[in-house]
Amino acid sequence: MAISSSTASLNLTRPIGSVLPSPKFLAVHSLQHRSSPARFRRLAAVIPRRTVTRIEATKQTFNSFDELLEKSDKPVLVDFYATWCGPCQFMVPVLEEVGEKLKDKVQVVKIDTEKYVNIANKYGIQALPTFIIFKDGKPCDRFEGALTANQLIQRVEEALKVAQ
Amino acid sequence: MATQAAFLGSTLLSPKLDSSLRRSNRLKTRAQVDPSDKSVEIMRKFSEQYARKSGTYFCVDKGVTSVVIKGLADHKDSLGAPLCPCRHYDDKAAEVGQGFWNCPCVPMRERKECHCMLFLTPDNDFAGQEQTITLDEIKEATSKL
Repeated sequence: MAISSSTASLNLTRPIGSVLPSPKFLAVHSLQHRSSPARFRRLAAVIPRRTVTRIEATKQTFNSFDELLEKSDKPVLVDFYATWCGPCQFMVPVLEEVGEKLKDKVQVVKIDTEKYVNIANKYGIQALPTFIIFKDGKPCDRFEGALTANQLIQRVEEALKVAQ
Repeated sequence: MATQAAFLGSTLLSPKLDSSLRRSNRLKTRAQVDPSDKSVEIMRKFSEQYARKSGTYFCVDKGVTSVVIKGLADHKDSLGAPLCPCRHYDDKAAEVGQGFWNCPCVPMRERKECHCMLFLTPDNDFAGQEQTITLDEIKEATSKL
C-alpha cells in the first residue's frame, strides 16, 4: 500500500503526512465489529484515526527557484531558515498551520540557506528566519524573526491586500 | 536526491510503523552531522553562566534553547568559535575572524538583544523562568531533528 506522500519543496523536512486510501467496507466494518479486537487492531493500523491532508510539493533544484516563483499561480511565502537556528525550528509547526489555513491564498516554500547559499545571497538574507512574500515573482513584503501563527496570518493577509 | 524522496514517500504505511521507519529514515538520509558531545556540553555550561550573568532567561519552549545550543556547538566544531547559528553568512571563517557575531555577539553584549531567542530579557513574551538546561533536555528536544 504505497502512498505518494511528499515533503515540502526545496527542503527535505520530516514527512508531513499522507492520505491513506480507506476502503468504505473496511471503515464500516471497523466501526461495527468491536467484538473482534484482533481484527479491529489490524484495521485500526491500516486506517489512520486522524485524517491528514496530503501536502503537494515537489523536490526541486536551485535553478527552479526562479521557475517556481514564475510558475506559481498564487503568492509565495518563502521561509529562509537553517537547521540549527532555534527560532526557525520554532516556526516549523507554525508554518504548517498557516500553510493549511491559507492554502488557497498562498504557497509556502522553505529554503535551507546552508544548502541553497546562492539563493540566500541573492536575496540578501542576514538574520534567520527571514520571510519574503513574493507576488508575481517579485518580493512584496519581508520580515525577520519568529512569530505566532496568528501574527503570521495577519502579516500575510495584509501583504496580499496591498496593490491588488 | 530523487531516490531519497521516493524512499520516504514509499515507507509511510501506518502510524505505528511510520514512527520507527521515520527514525531509521532519518538516520539514513540525514545530511547533517550532530555536533560533538563535548562542544554541546561546553556551550550548555556557557549558556547557563551567561544567562545568570546577564539576568536573562531561556525561552518557554526549551526546544528553541536546545537547537541554538547545538548550533553554537556545531559552529565551534567546524569553525573554532561559536558563531551565531541564526544568521546567514557570505564567508563564515571571515566572520569568525571579525568577531561581531561570535556568541555572545555584540548586540547581546551591548543591548541584551538575542534574536536566536537564547537569552531573553524578563519582559520578552517568550521568556520563561529558567536559567538552566540539562544535557538530557537538549538531547530530547533535538532528537527529532
